[in-house]
Parts: sequence; C-alpha cells; structure tokens
Amino acid sequence: MNQAMTTAFDVAVIGGGVMGCTTALFLARAGMRVAVVERDSLCRGASGVNAGTLTLHMTRAALVPYAIRAWDMWMNTDAWLGQSVLATAAPGLSLAFTEHEKTLLQQRAAARRGYGAQIDLLDRDASLALEPGLNPAVLQAAYCATDGFASAYLTGRAYHAALREAGVHIFEQTPATRIDRVAGMYRVTGPADAIHIDATRLVMAGGVWLEPLLAMLDIDIPVKTLVNQLIVTERMPPVMQSVLSIANGLLSMKQFANGSVLIGGGWQGVGDRVRGGVETVPDNLIGNLRLAQHVIPALAQARVARIWLGLEAETADAMPMIGALPGLPDAWVIGCVHSGYTSGPYMGKLLAQAMLGEEPELPLFDPARLMVPVEALAQPH
Amino acid sequence: MPDFDVLVLGGGPAGVNAALAASAAGLKVALFDENPAAGGQVYRAPISSAMPPTGDLLPGDALRHELDQSAVTTYFNHVVWAVTADYRVDAAGPAGPVHCSGRALIVATGTTERVVPFDGWTTPGVIGLAAATILLKSQGILPGRSTLVAGCGPLLAAVAAKIIEGGGKVEAIADIAGLGDWGRTMPAMVSRPDLMREGFHWVREIWSAGVPMLSRQTLVKVEQAHDGLHATLAPCDAAGRPIAGKQRSVVADCIAVGHGLTPSSEITRLLRAEHRYSRQAGGWIAVADQDGRTSRPRLYVAGDGAGIAGAAAAGHHGTLAGLACAIDLGTHLGTHLGTDLGTDAAQLRSRVQAARQAHAKAARFGRSMAQLMALRPGHTDSIEPQTIVCRCEDVTRAEIDAACDAGAHDMNQLKAWTRCGMGPCQGRTCGDVAAELLAARVHGGLREPAGCLSARTPLRPMTVEALTGNFSYDDIPIPMAAPL
Amino acid sequence: MLNDETMRIDNSNRATTIRFFFDGQPASARVGESVAAALFASGTKSLRASPREHSPRGMFCLMGSCQECLVMVDARRVLACRTPVADGMRVETVPEAGINA
Repeated sequence: MNQAMTTAFDVAVIGGGVMGCTTALFLARAGMRVAVVERDSLCRGASGVNAGTLTLHMTRAALVPYAIRAWDMWMNTDAWLGQSVLATAAPGLSLAFTEHEKTLLQQRAAARRGYGAQIDLLDRDASLALEPGLNPAVLQAAYCATDGFASAYLTGRAYHAALREAGVHIFEQTPATRIDRVAGMYRVTGPADAIHIDATRLVMAGGVWLEPLLAMLDIDIPVKTLVNQLIVTERMPPVMQSVLSIANGLLSMKQFANGSVLIGGGWQGVGDRVRGGVETVPDNLIGNLRLAQHVIPALAQARVARIWLGLEAETADAMPMIGALPGLPDAWVIGCVHSGYTSGPYMGKLLAQAMLGEEPELPLFDPARLMVPVEALAQPH
Repeated sequence: MPDFDVLVLGGGPAGVNAALAASAAGLKVALFDENPAAGGQVYRAPISSAMPPTGDLLPGDALRHELDQSAVTTYFNHVVWAVTADYRVDAAGPAGPVHCSGRALIVATGTTERVVPFDGWTTPGVIGLAAATILLKSQGILPGRSTLVAGCGPLLAAVAAKIIEGGGKVEAIADIAGLGDWGRTMPAMVSRPDLMREGFHWVREIWSAGVPMLSRQTLVKVEQAHDGLHATLAPCDAAGRPIAGKQRSVVADCIAVGHGLTPSSEITRLLRAEHRYSRQAGGWIAVADQDGRTSRPRLYVAGDGAGIAGAAAAGHHGTLAGLACAIDLGTHLGTHLGTDLGTDAAQLRSRVQAARQAHAKAARFGRSMAQLMALRPGHTDSIEPQTIVCRCEDVTRAEIDAACDAGAHDMNQLKAWTRCGMGPCQGRTCGDVAAELLAARVHGGLREPAGCLSARTPLRPMTVEALTGNFSYDDIPIPMAAPL
Repeated sequence: MLNDETMRIDNSNRATTIRFFFDGQPASARVGESVAAALFASGTKSLRASPREHSPRGMFCLMGSCQECLVMVDARRVLACRTPVADGMRVETVPEAGINA
C-alpha cells in the first residue's frame, strides 16, 4: 500500500465502526466521494464485539428518542444496509430483587418514560408469567415491549458490502498517524507515511481513540476507555425469551436463535486503548456470572464458551459528542455514546444530515462543551 | 506473596522434567494437568494393570515415579481455564475451583492433532490417530473390528502395529507420503537406533499381518453404510492432493486419520508473548531461546508445544526450561540459591550444557518426524466446497471462501464473518486448516498476515456453576450502578 | 489376546465389568474406561447432532479438545472422553439447542 491518493475526497471518515460507517454510507448515497480510514478491520472495535442489546432499559434516558429511531433502523436493515445483523425484536425486562432495586427500577423507568419510552411496571407474578425461567425471588420488573438484540459480530461484513456498493473507498489496517491542513484540504497520513488521503471534510469517528485523534487537530477532549467484559455460552435449549437486565444496569442478557446466551453488563476487565482488552479480572467474571445465574437459575448448567473484552468510549459527562468541531472548517466528530451500538446507525444518519446542510431531526451534542474544564459542565440527569 | 516459585502447565515429558529440574534446584513448584496422572499423550498411563504393557509403559512409569518422589505439588484432574499476566492460574478440579500464583510460568501443553477435512470426516466412527492411540494404549480398547489407518506421519505405523498386537484387523494403511519422503528421514533416524528398531518392528508386524501399505494415497470420502464405513482412497501428489488414477474403496468399522500435530500455543498467545509461524515446527509457536525463554519475563515454553521435536527432545527441553527458570529466578529474586545437591549456580550451568547436548541429539530425530507431519502447502486445496471445515458450527469451505472473497483478511475477521472458530472447540480443531485456506486465497499462501484466532479465556469451556460456586445475592460484589 | 465378545484387549478377565445407561439403554464398561471409549467399543458411535445440519457426531479426538463428545451426566454437561464410567451412571444425549428446540 504505497500510494498518495491523487484525487481528493469530499470527506474522509476516520474510524470504521457503526457511527463512522453509517455517516459514510449516507454521505456517499448523497453523492459525496467518501473514504473510510480504519486502523483495523471495519467494525472490529466496539461495534463488532458488544452485546448487541437494543434496549431502552440500558440506554441513557436522554438518548431514548435516538434509540427508538435506531431500533427501527436495526429491525429494517434490508431497507438501508442490505444485509441482516439478525436483529430480533423481543420484550425487555429490567428486574429488581431488593427494595433498593425496586426504587432504582421505578426511577429509571420514570426517567425513560419522560423521553418517550413505553415502560410499564410488572409485579412478581406478571414477570414470571412473561419469563417463566426467572428466579422466583424477583420482586418487580420494568417491561418494554419493543426491545431486542442483534448479533454485533455480523456488523462488519454488512457494512463492508454496503460501503463498497455505495462506492466508498475503504482503507483498513490504516491507523491515522497525522492530520495536516494542506492547500485547504485535510491530509490524513497512514503508518510509515505510506499513504496520504486528502479530503475537503473530516469526520472523526474513532471511538476510544478519539482523544489521541482529536489531539492531532490540537483539540483536547478527554475520553475515558471502559473495558467491558462479555461472556457467551454454548448453544442451549431455550432458557429465556426476553432481553434481561437488572435495575442497577449491571447485567444484560439475551439468548440468540442458535441457543447461545450472551451476558454483559459493563463489568470491567484489564486493558486500555493502547493494548486493547488484555485480560479478565476474575472477581468481575465471577460477579457477572453470579448475577446472570441468579436471574436465570438454569444457566448454572450452561458452559461458558468464550469471554472477551470490548472498549467503550465515555466523555466527562457520559453523553455523546456529535457535531461540528469548533475552530475548524468542515470538521466533525461522532462518538462516545453509552450503548452506542443501540443508537449508532441513527446517530450516523443524523450527522450525515447535518453535514449535508439539512436540519437534523433531533438535536446533536455539541463537542465544545467538553473542551471546557469539568467543573463548569452541567450536571448529568 | 505468590503461592509458588513456578507453575508448570502440562504433565507430559516436558512438563514433568521441567518441574523436576526446577524443584531439584530448590524452587517451590506446582504442576497442573487435566489427566489423572502424568505422562501426557506419549506416556499416557493405562487405566488398568490388567492391560498388556506397551513400549512406552516403562519410561512413563519412571516419569510418574520420579514425580511422586519429588517435592512438586501436583494438581491432576485439573482443567486450567485462565492464566493472567502476573501468572495467576485458575483451574477447575474435582473438589471445585482452584487458583494459585507463581513468580514464573512454564508452559508445556503439547499439541493437538491436525486433520485436513475430507468429505464425510465428521461421520461417527472417524477418529484421530491420537484418539486411536489413546484407545489402544490407555483404555485397552481396539478402535474397531477392522480399522483403516490413513493420513501421514509416524503415528500411522504406530497405530497399525498396536491394533495388530491387540488382535485387531487393519484394512490398510494409506500414507500421503511416498517412500522417498521416508527415505529422507533415514539420516536422522540413524541417530536413534532404538526408535529406528521400533519402527522396523512395526513395519514387520504390519507386513506379516498382510496389511496393504499404500503410499501416496489419500482419503477423499467416507460414507456410513449398513456394513460399516465406506472409505474412498485416491492416489495423490506430494502435497496430498488427489490426482487422476484408480480410486479404491475400503470398508472398515473405524477410520483412524491424522495429518500431523499442531503445537498448542493458546496460553502463550493469551499472555501476548511474541510468536512466529513455522510450518516445520507444526504451526504458530512462541519465539523462544534454546532454553525455552519467551519474549515475556519468566515465561517459558518446553516440549512439542514449543515446536515439534518428539518425546525424547521434549524431556530434555523441559529440563532446560526448569533450569533456565531456576537461574532466572535466582537472578530475579536476588537470592543465592541453596547449596543442595545440584543447586549452586555453576552446577546449574553445567547441567544446562549437558541438557542442551542431549536435547540437540534427540531433536534431530524428532524434527525429521515433524517434517513428515508438517502441513504440506497445497494440501488444503483439495477440500471440497461442501465439506465442513469448522465442525462446531458446521461452516463449510464454500462459506470460508465466500468470506475471503468478500474481504475477510485475517482469522478474527473470518471468524466474525462465518462463525468459524466460535464454537466450543475455540478453533483448536479447525483453526490451522481455516488459516491455511484464508492464507492461500488472500495472501498468496503466506500464513503471517492471516494470523491466528485470538486466544481467549476460558481456555476450555467451563460450566457457569463451576465458576460461580455457592453464593447468595448479597455475596455479589456490585460495582457502581450504571449512569441514569 | 482379544476378547471376542468386546473390543477389549485383555490378557485376562481381571478388570471388573460395570454397567451404565445411555439414553436408558444398558451398556457395559471396565473400571477406569471413559464414557466415550466404553460407548464406542459397544458400537454406539453417535453421541449428539451438529448444530446447523443436525448430522450425527461422536467422539473424535478423545483428549478433551474437539468437544464433539458432549453428553449429559446427572443433568450436567460433560465431555464423555473425560468422564470415567461409574457403576449405574445414567448418561443422556444433550438436549436440542436453539429456538426450535
């Protein structure tokens, strides 16, 4: 790969995850000449290794409107992506096993209802009727009829095909090492100066690597790297039919059509954005599994097939940054969304709208707020 | 404070010798193995003394006896499922979960058998050559009333001879190798007259029993019929690919097939030691010095898992790793090791010299056998499109090819795009062959850019309850709740 | 040398025979044999079905690596090749997995 691309692009998207790829896709379909510059393979970062949960219970309350619209996109990938990620609609149950958890449950349900989610509270008997495999010690459940899940690992292949069909130039195995302004364009340089990509516009969509990437533009926005643990079992007979979570937000669980159960919940492992996920913390593995087994006792007999770690990006106020980068012409950023996979395609579509000069359907999230000292930020709610 | 100075993973000749050498040098050693006793594959203990003794019994018993007499703490019947960067080992045993830590780690986990897929290889009754060996040596059971033995490498004759000794029938031996391939191993074979004699003894038994010994023949198909397994053999080229010519049909009760061994490098890859690909050594192996030191401090590899060189070499390699560990820990701890017999530094170094010489001599033979077992470039060309490559997930060659053509460049991407390697075997059975297919289709045959499947915990599937133990809801250490 | 009635290589009948059950059908083994080996020797080679094609599968590597010999013993998923037969043991095929089970 020893090339300087002689023809400039209309936009270079740095970061080939769901957000970067969706932005790229919609821009390409609107007629732009698009390059996606990805350090590894498409959707091999958070986008390909997350739990694939499409639930309003785990989405931050303020992001519920985005998640609802993204759910529609995931359930209808034929219409805009071309390939399925096996998105499956399923009811979502968030559970309470203690009085404190009941309070949390009610708070969280109320907050999400405030943003348009349809969430009802169920008593113990109603919960067990809906999900017979639940531990009978459950006290209460919050129920959302329109939750679901997808197989995140299918995402890369789907976007690869869609981007190629849309004429997007995909540069994989190409981490950006430098970004310069050259003759009014952005010049993105790859490793060993072996490749230069020139573009009129820039989209920074690099996930946990946004902090070092933005630093290349002399923009200082701290991005925390969460190292999330995921556990998948072997195929089993059906033991659950809804997407399950716990009031404190620390468990997510679903069973795929092939019978395997995927367990998440944000328990942390050892790792960082330089080394990636390094290893599991044994106490966190055991804690996560104990929660899962407590909720669905039949899981005691499941065999764990694989444990891995995914990197999730988080800003100082745990809200996304999506919008124009201040002080730079035609430079944009998208990322750092909690439950980013859930809302990802809609966020990417929104940014593309904004970049095409349209009024985005829902408000973006001004990155400028994150460039100020932390004390001056508004309280999250 | 670590529980032990060194943890040894694997109780075959390499692991046991490593543990013994480290222990004799004054270190506190623990050894883990999932089998009930030491011996690994090659010196696997028979389950009953009622079984007729095999040639490997005496050295195996000697190994087990020496281990018993030593100060090494052993954890047999323990499956290691996690190893952390600071050398904490988690295992599941008969009495429940166990974990312990060491200052150093010696990985001697041996190999798994490679089988290049062919039409019908997943049919029940088709087993590996190593599996047939376990049935014969350890369980005292014949693989079948009649058995077809096929594939390549020295195990073919060993398995066939043992079947005949056990009173069973061998329908034929179909070897991909030609007589010339065997002829080329003669110079190295001469360095081990005892093993050469054993090999000739096997051939004599096979010949006396009237078993057809077919060269340059490969299995192309197996089908289940009412009267047994119907196997089709075809003439093949030096790479094991079928060529035009008369095919023959063999009916047998069991088919034992194997195409060599691949070093088990999961643990060293999990620990992110540097690795390299060596076709001759059997696949991906940790980069290591002659004494088994890897690129990570106080992490050692020994035996066939470090590169195939045979059982005798494995023992000496284990000794080298154990001694290297003792020398390095002495340096690392800043302590002067005790003056017990064989433990002062000068003695250690002279033992290292002796072990290096013994190892080099033994490895010569072992490596010539490894040559016969190496994956021949082009062998996987002959896998039919509809043939299953990933057994756990029923992924066919055609699906792998399609993913490669759609843009999958490396094994992890291939796994995400096809599910190949996502099943319970975690890529142990299919990984080498799938990588070879990807490399051939995308990287002109080069294995390095294809990479390997990421090593992950658990190292073997573990039941949830084996990991969670007894607990109540209050016991679960809940971290901070997620943001609202 | 070869015991005509079984596949055992035995130079005497010293090893004790024990009985166990596979999906309710009686089978016999010698003390120390693994469930996989004992079933294979008695002619029961198919232990389960593959996930997509539902083709019959049985023991393959016999050393705990390939995971093909997964069976149920006392409602626990175990590898038949790693499980010594116990007198009276009840072995079952693993239940069908997935959404259509």
